[in-house]
Amino acid sequence: MTNPKPTWRFVLPLVFQTALILSIPAQAVYTHLSGQTVVLQTVPVDPYDLLRGYSQTLRYDISSAETLKLLPGWETVLTKQDNGEKALIDGTQLYVILQEPVSADNVSPPQAWIPIDISRDRPAELPDDRVALEGTAKNGQIQYGLETYYMPEDQRLSINQYIEETLVEAGGERPFVVEVKVDREGNSAAGSLWVGDREFRF
Amino acid sequence: MVSEKFRHQLRQEVEQWQTEGLIDSLLYDRLAQRYQFNTLESAARNHFILILLGLGSILLGLAVITFVAANWQIWTKEVKVVLLLSLFMGINAAGFYLWRRPTERWQSRAGQSLLLLGSLVLGANLALMSQLFHLSGPAYELYLVWGIGVLAMAYSLRLTLLAVLAVILVALGYCSGFPNLYYSVDLSQLQPLLHHMPLFASIAFIPLAYWCRSRWLFGMSAILVVASLEANLLFVTFSLFDLSSGMAEIVAALSCTLPPALLWAYRDSIWERSPEATPRFDPIAKGIALTFLCLLFYILSFEWLWRNLPSPGFGEIPAEALPILLDALILGGFALYSWWKLGYQRSSIWRIDLMTTVVGAMILIAGSVVWLHWRIEPLGAIAIFVFNALLFLLEVGLIREALGTAKRGGFWLGVLLMVLHLMSRMLEYDTGLLFKAIVLFFCGVCVIAAGLWFERYVRVLART
Repeated sequence: MTNPKPTWRFVLPLVFQTALILSIPAQAVYTHLSGQTVVLQTVPVDPYDLLRGYSQTLRYDISSAETLKLLPGWETVLTKQDNGEKALIDGTQLYVILQEPVSADNVSPPQAWIPIDISRDRPAELPDDRVALEGTAKNGQIQYGLETYYMPEDQRLSINQYIEETLVEAGGERPFVVEVKVDREGNSAAGSLWVGDREFRF
Repeated sequence: MVSEKFRHQLRQEVEQWQTEGLIDSLLYDRLAQRYQFNTLESAARNHFILILLGLGSILLGLAVITFVAANWQIWTKEVKVVLLLSLFMGINAAGFYLWRRPTERWQSRAGQSLLLLGSLVLGANLALMSQLFHLSGPAYELYLVWGIGVLAMAYSLRLTLLAVLAVILVALGYCSGFPNLYYSVDLSQLQPLLHHMPLFASIAFIPLAYWCRSRWLFGMSAILVVASLEANLLFVTFSLFDLSSGMAEIVAALSCTLPPALLWAYRDSIWERSPEATPRFDPIAKGIALTFLCLLFYILSFEWLWRNLPSPGFGEIPAEALPILLDALILGGFALYSWWKLGYQRSSIWRIDLMTTVVGAMILIAGSVVWLHWRIEPLGAIAIFVFNALLFLLEVGLIREALGTAKRGGFWLGVLLMVLHLMSRMLEYDTGLLFKAIVLFFCGVCVIAAGLWFERYVRVLART
């Protein structure tokens, strides 16, 4: 019994499948290569704020609408609803403009960038010390695609311990920042995680 | 080609005939050659090996996925990507090589298992890539992309095994993505696929089922088409109920009528070019249509459901409902065409047989009652009565049809449905314990009696 199928009948779908696999990191790789490094301040997700499983769920101060409400362009991202009131509806795409902090060069740990503006359209021109980060409104929060950070399982315990110690040392401060890359289009990709003055990169 | 079961039985019979002297050894040899008795053992063994190989490759695939998920941290990202891709390509290439040019039968089987394993590794690769680059996205995207990848390979190689895996993956993707239709706007580029799942499943899987000549694949694809159509229509119904008064009841009626109408009138002959070469899938579609009706009538026969149904409001059709309605429109058109073709199957004037008339009438009545309930006025007791009567009619019809054809499955489905129906009504309405006891007693007696009677007379009659 033979199956006289020509080789292309196998190669063509295999190429397609490989393209599917590679298309997933393509955007992230492009952003990593061409993007500008930006530092984001995180906020606690749950009271214990430790790693669960092998991934850490991250929230940033710019994830919450409460923080962004104070920015000048907030009105532009709201949509008028049936009852006449304006609200941030799910699915709205927006850009948060972040500015590099003064004297941020070579500080360890790096200082978080500061949100200075928000707009519905991507700004055409920005000075070198500013970037526009693309986000999407969902369930009253803004998502940037940077919300999950995967960690090696075998290092979880030691990282957890380190986080606990650092949190106690820091008192009320939150010494958790994430380095990300942001490209011209506003796409972002997670880089490394800073806890106190230690950098974790996976 | 006759079935393996028949050949087994025939061999037993023929051996008996030979010992009884009814046939001589020459005739025995000729029969043995014609029905290839000598391959029967090896066929059974091959089935067994196939099952073992399939099971083995699924376990191996799971092992690969677990291994990968256990986060092996020794290599850098680039090495991991290269390693994963070469594993994926290596397994697939080995599978294809063995499957295409087998020198022995086991090689073809091993090749198929390796190709199945390759398809599982595809999923592991997809999941791991997003993990390596810290990408977060909904799980249904992974299933859908994975399913589409496997589907491409299944089409190209015409492999039933891969096609079945693709149906399962796409169905999983639809199920886990369904809440995204309900709760929030989802910006995923694959969301349109959820809206158009009925159409996508019809176009992608039904032709493949014919091409692979697989009854299982057809059944699973048909269930995916109908289930996604039903779920989407119910989603539209309930999102319209707060908004529009004109459309809601039409969509509600459609959700009760379109799936069974589509399946019942479905005929292989719609596609048929040469009747001999096309496999027969009509009975499967009819079976699913009847199952759908059983479920529908059973659910709608409950009193609390009719008391607690929401009433329609006023407003516009939401934009997200439009693609779903487009699918319903296209499949509805196809259903109408199938019914039109069905009427001309045997005669030059439009005519359908008794059973089709009854099923068609049932579907129409169900749709009209649902429509009237919201359009004109709440029907309450009338609707409950109608659906109980329809369910009873369906049970009787199933039993009668099974008696006519001496098929055990339909008979038992009818009897069990009737008992379930009776019990549900008894438990639903406030009846005394003594009455419950009497009903249970008679149900038990009737089921036993019916079973014994069916086995004793009808099967015997059918055999003679």
